[in-house]
Amino acid sequence: MSLKERQPKSKQPESIQQESSLPERVGSLTANSGALMHTEIMSLNVGPQHPSTHGVLRLVVDMDGEFVIKVTPHMGYLHTGFEKTFEHRTYQQGVTYAPRTDYLHSFGHELAWVLGVEKLMQADVPERATTVRVILHELGRISSHLVFLGTALMDLGAITLFFYCFREKEAVQDLFEEVCGYRMNQGYFRVGGLSRDIPDDWAGHVQTFCDTFDKHVDEYASMFATNPIFLDRATGVGVITAEAAIDLGLTGPNLRASGVPLDHRKATPYCDYDSYEFNVPTSQKGDSHARFLLRLEELRESAKIIRQALKRLKPGPVKDPNRKISLPPRPELESSMEAVIHHFKLVTEGFHPPLGEVYVPVETARGEVGYYIISDGGSMPYRVKIRAPSFVNLQALEYACVGGQFADLITVLATIDPVLGDVDR
Amino acid sequence: MDKVSKIETYTTGPASVQTDPARLDPIDALIATLGLSAEDAAEPTAVVGIDKLESVALRLRQAGFMLLDVVGIDYSAYVQPRPERLSVLYNVYHPYDHRRLFLRVWLAMGTALPSLYGVWKSANYLEREVYDLLGVVFTDHPDLRKILTPDDLEGHPLLKDFPIDETPTLFRDGRFLDPAAFRAGMTGQATGLSGWRGSLRRGEGKGDIEPPVMPAGGPK
Repeated sequence: MSLKERQPKSKQPESIQQESSLPERVGSLTANSGALMHTEIMSLNVGPQHPSTHGVLRLVVDMDGEFVIKVTPHMGYLHTGFEKTFEHRTYQQGVTYAPRTDYLHSFGHELAWVLGVEKLMQADVPERATTVRVILHELGRISSHLVFLGTALMDLGAITLFFYCFREKEAVQDLFEEVCGYRMNQGYFRVGGLSRDIPDDWAGHVQTFCDTFDKHVDEYASMFATNPIFLDRATGVGVITAEAAIDLGLTGPNLRASGVPLDHRKATPYCDYDSYEFNVPTSQKGDSHARFLLRLEELRESAKIIRQALKRLKPGPVKDPNRKISLPPRPELESSMEAVIHHFKLVTEGFHPPLGEVYVPVETARGEVGYYIISDGGSMPYRVKIRAPSFVNLQALEYACVGGQFADLITVLATIDPVLGDVDR
Repeated sequence: MDKVSKIETYTTGPASVQTDPARLDPIDALIATLGLSAEDAAEPTAVVGIDKLESVALRLRQAGFMLLDVVGIDYSAYVQPRPERLSVLYNVYHPYDHRRLFLRVWLAMGTALPSLYGVWKSANYLEREVYDLLGVVFTDHPDLRKILTPDDLEGHPLLKDFPIDETPTLFRDGRFLDPAAFRAGMTGQATGLSGWRGSLRRGEGKGDIEPPVMPAGGPK
């Protein structure tokens, strides 16, 4: 039977409605389908404005029937040349650009930039500033993971959790707004410390948030972790082995979900992270299910770190006293000529680090972020290279989706959790 | 249902090994074993010749290192003389014993580098980025296309001689946008290329256009 003869017959409604003829028809179709049907590889365009791509990412997916045989991501829609812009701004102005790369965990990028320049300048950061940085860094991780949980489960069809996650994310953003005036893209850190001290009652507000947060994490877990539909759609989907993860250069939760316990808070501690007690959750499974639950566990660990940091928050300075790095306090400008000169030089020109190249890795919600900074002795960096974890992690998509169904591609993309600002820079 | 129906318990990662000073030493020993010369720099950096790059990378891969980043640098405007104009740095890291090494290759403009895609799959996007932004060609790369900048952008933005001041933008269909004229049009000082706001304000050609007024009795 040729395709032409078959088509009108299958359209007849009575042949479909008759239950007895249905299995026979399906059976004959599958038995001869190779000879009857014309099959070809179909290219499917996803994005760039598709909500499940979490930004502007375009995927060209080659499909053989229901199965993905090749994924080709096209990125660059958000490329704004941050690295080139860094070369024409002073080091202190760079704090404005760093958080705009990964806008969901912006404190991570901000911290990586500031720590790099501080290594170059040999700056001496006061203890209070370091502790506040740890609190904000972890709050940023909580906020980022909450967006991940909400949006990723929404991609799987579980819409309710999104609103619960964003309820707490709003609370975290209120804390950000309270401390630095911005809900996103804060730019609160400075080379040598913080831009200003935290408000008096802020620590109390963070404490209140942390006291109830573990209960909220249990609440999230109760909403999806035992759901059979979620388990069916996530378990065994998009498996990345430890060997492949290392080959693909994955870092962060994606690498730890594959069984490699690399966390720079433990491996190369910055901001006194070695003095905090916390666990690094890892899983040996490497599938989407593991990536979901691992980030859920990280929420608890981050809250644990914040509670410890709040206990050691003592009054004190929040800026490096070195006047060649930090601006002098405002009252001093009225009495000291030296202070006026320092203020003028720092504002108009900025400081001049010695020649050199530095790199400080920081563990953000997405993986290792580091700024490779090259100084030529001027007040602006000679070259800045951002090690963007989302960009490298995205390579796992081409690896983990092949052979799966199209719906699994959405799951894998969601659990790899790229931020397109971080991919494109 | 035989699938996992409750949250699995996660193991805790091993404690930090960074505090053990003996673990930090081997990076110098490693550089010597690989037959490379260490650079006097803040980060452990070793210079590799282009011909030895692949074999050194392979030995690092076999030792368990992963490729985290590829950095392309144009040293043409640097204050100190450098061996060549371009340099490509490979940021390799050992995920278990936490050693980090930067492999540096010096190369002149127009020199091609061997692709490390055969050694580390992560080199795929990273080398495409260096190719896109600095124009370094990687031979035997499976898919060497631009990755971040638009297809119709000419030049490599991270080279030091790439013009960064206002330049007229030429689109693929031949449309031409002059920034100065475009801005003038937006402010209403000249018709410019916007053809919208500027022309309405000036009412050029057709006499002055009356601004719309609210009809009596409010909006309907």
